[in-house]
Amino acid sequence: MILSDVFPVPVEWLDTVDTTMADTVAGWAEREVSSKRLEHGEDRDGLLAPATRSLFADIGLQSMMVPERLGGGGMDTPESVMTACAALEAVGTADTGIGFVAANTLALISSFTLEPGRDDTLLERLASFFTGGEPAVGALVLPSYSDSKGAGLERFNGLSYQVAAERDGEGFSLSGTNVRPQCCGASAALFAIAFDSGKGPAFGIVSRQAEGLKPGREFLKTGLAASDNAELSLDSIGLPAEDVVCAGPEKFLAVLNRYYLFCAAVTSGALLATYGILKEWGDTRVIKGKGQVFKENPLVASIMGEVGANIARTRMLTYELARMLSKPDVYGPPGAPAMHATSTAVFKGATGAAMRAMDATMELMGSAGYATEWNLERYWRDVKNLEAVVVPETAALVDMARHYFGLKTV
Amino acid sequence: MKDTDGFTRPLEYLSPLDDYLRGIMRTWAEDYVMPHRREFDEDWKDHRLIEPAFARLQGELGLQRLLFPEDLGGMALGRSGYIGTFCMRGFEEIARADSAIAVAFGVLFWPLIMICNEPHVNRRLCEEFAPMFCETDRPVFAANAMTEPQGGADIENMEIVKGSTIQTTAVLEGDEWVINGHKLWPTNSGGVADLFGVVCTTKAGSTDLDDFAFIFVPANLPGVTQGGPYQKAGMAADKNGDIWFEDVRVPSWYRACGPGDDMKYFKEVITMGNLGSISFVCGAMMNVFEILREFASEKTFRGKPLKENDDVAGVLADFARDVEIIRIVGYQYARMIDRPDLYGDRWSEEMVAKGRAYKYFACDRAVEDLGRVIDLMGAYGCDRTNDVEKHWRDLKIVQLWMGGKQLCQMEVARFFYDCETL
Repeated sequence: MILSDVFPVPVEWLDTVDTTMADTVAGWAEREVSSKRLEHGEDRDGLLAPATRSLFADIGLQSMMVPERLGGGGMDTPESVMTACAALEAVGTADTGIGFVAANTLALISSFTLEPGRDDTLLERLASFFTGGEPAVGALVLPSYSDSKGAGLERFNGLSYQVAAERDGEGFSLSGTNVRPQCCGASAALFAIAFDSGKGPAFGIVSRQAEGLKPGREFLKTGLAASDNAELSLDSIGLPAEDVVCAGPEKFLAVLNRYYLFCAAVTSGALLATYGILKEWGDTRVIKGKGQVFKENPLVASIMGEVGANIARTRMLTYELARMLSKPDVYGPPGAPAMHATSTAVFKGATGAAMRAMDATMELMGSAGYATEWNLERYWRDVKNLEAVVVPETAALVDMARHYFGLKTV
Repeated sequence: MKDTDGFTRPLEYLSPLDDYLRGIMRTWAEDYVMPHRREFDEDWKDHRLIEPAFARLQGELGLQRLLFPEDLGGMALGRSGYIGTFCMRGFEEIARADSAIAVAFGVLFWPLIMICNEPHVNRRLCEEFAPMFCETDRPVFAANAMTEPQGGADIENMEIVKGSTIQTTAVLEGDEWVINGHKLWPTNSGGVADLFGVVCTTKAGSTDLDDFAFIFVPANLPGVTQGGPYQKAGMAADKNGDIWFEDVRVPSWYRACGPGDDMKYFKEVITMGNLGSISFVCGAMMNVFEILREFASEKTFRGKPLKENDDVAGVLADFARDVEIIRIVGYQYARMIDRPDLYGDRWSEEMVAKGRAYKYFACDRAVEDLGRVIDLMGAYGCDRTNDVEKHWRDLKIVQLWMGGKQLCQMEVARFFYDCETL
């Protein structure tokens, strides 16, 4: 495990599968991304797309949760959440954007592979997306703010579903404009679209080939260059009953909670990369006026200590959450309200800690921290983008308060 | 509140040209910046879209002539009793559109402060360089070459380090300075500047204040080499790179003020840099306010406009509070700059330290507040079409430059608490 001598992980919860996966992905990170970064920057064609293909298809991250009998990695039990966490942390050290895309993909796959009592009809149909040897990205479409023209759309915890769903026999018809996926609207193979099923929230699994689905133009954003995101328009897309997964609040929240965990793991990876950058800076720079190695200055040291503490806490909490979500027999259903509050707290804690740590690191590095060549600014932009996209701050805070303090009307 | 002019300023201290200046800058911004600024990030190297904005502002409108005496074709801001409030107003308007353009424009005056501002006008150097800026309608840039690869904060930490870490040397040979050294990161480097104000030492390792020298170097002299710009997280209109000086020869009278006075008046450069930084923060935050107000009115949450939710209103209030306070503080500092008879010389330890305090307060608030605004905006916060993330990226470097937050803290502590070894 990367830097486990500096930032401990709870090793008794990690088995050989987890550590082997983490080490494999760490090797990929160095080989396919870090060693090529100076030459390629954030070039999608030259660096990010080939690296994503290598990770998703060649190493098989995208098929790890598909049952072995369908050609996948066979990790289709809750324990795989810990494996995914370790892997995603390693991905995040190399590129937060690839990690974010992977988090989306694994969260989507988990919606139809990890649920107890799952219906394998959909799984058997979709397995080939992920085991076919080509990279297959999945993207979640989550509730968000609506614009005033969208008033009337059903809401989940205050946020509006981005699509309207009408009953169509046993299934549904989905419609919506300016629908914004979490990632890769321009290229994702599958979307897990949140909608109101009439009996609470659910996800509909929709292929990008679905009739009536049109991606718009890719829009530019702060970071996450590996994600070519675009808004979608959905015109009465047919959603058969067997393509509806995780219906009901508990199952729906289970997917969200795993997604929050995966994003926290990616963030933890970005923080470990930040540590490496700051360590090198602190070891090699000198405050000449005081004849001090940079890190030996008390003010600098105090800031570096805070950075280190943020990394240590984030890592620890992320693995704690992974343990809880991978052991429903001990901690209860992964979609329980308490688990949702904890998942939200860990995710928000991770990204908040990461931004504080990266802000402080950039302050210590001055202009070098701000320049692309020194790599820090990419993690800073990427994590900020991730933090904002996953869930708006105000919604997240009230989600937690709802559980912790028993809110009734908000 | 109707618009950003509702944020408070001390109306009785404003320059008589305040409204006029706002009108010029606002029209320039709407015509030359706003239609293109979303493409500025990709234009960081070539400045194909950015260059026309500079051409209009500096050349056609002639604002690069601001500091020079009138008889040399300038606008005499260097002897104006409103230099502070004029700059605050002008730069906040430019930064509302793009803070990188604001800093690139502002820094062209930075070295010229040493020779154009009363009471230390260097008439001979004004006559020497005024034609470069005043007899052309193409944009001309100057740069303040201060930071070196081994560090910038040490060089700016003048009270304690006294210039002893400066490695760029100026040696007098006959009636010429011979300059050798390597500078890094100045605004308007990367091939942009026509004229450098170079921070040198006349004796390496010296703590004698007389050895701190500020010497002008035209960029086209033999021995001056500029590297290409570095790609950065933001601030695309500001180019930053390496500058090498290899046996560069300039006349001995290209030194700005002389032994002792160079160090003394260089602190006025720092003071004006503090003011500029606050004005950039203020302008950018006012633009974010405009965007946020529209966003929070248009988007709904819990079935009503975002802004009508109590928890959201709390975040909006914190943002508006900080814009209000930063603007008042910025104009107060501008007033202090305009009235040295009341507040002390612009180069005094007190003015510098107080400016550092206001600057790092403004920057810290801006960085935190813009982060919270992006979080509030959720999936739309990092969308480049909303422009908020651009200001978030751009303002981070304002917090980092001029020695960064830690140097600000040391100078503030030193002044307010009489520290002796920081």
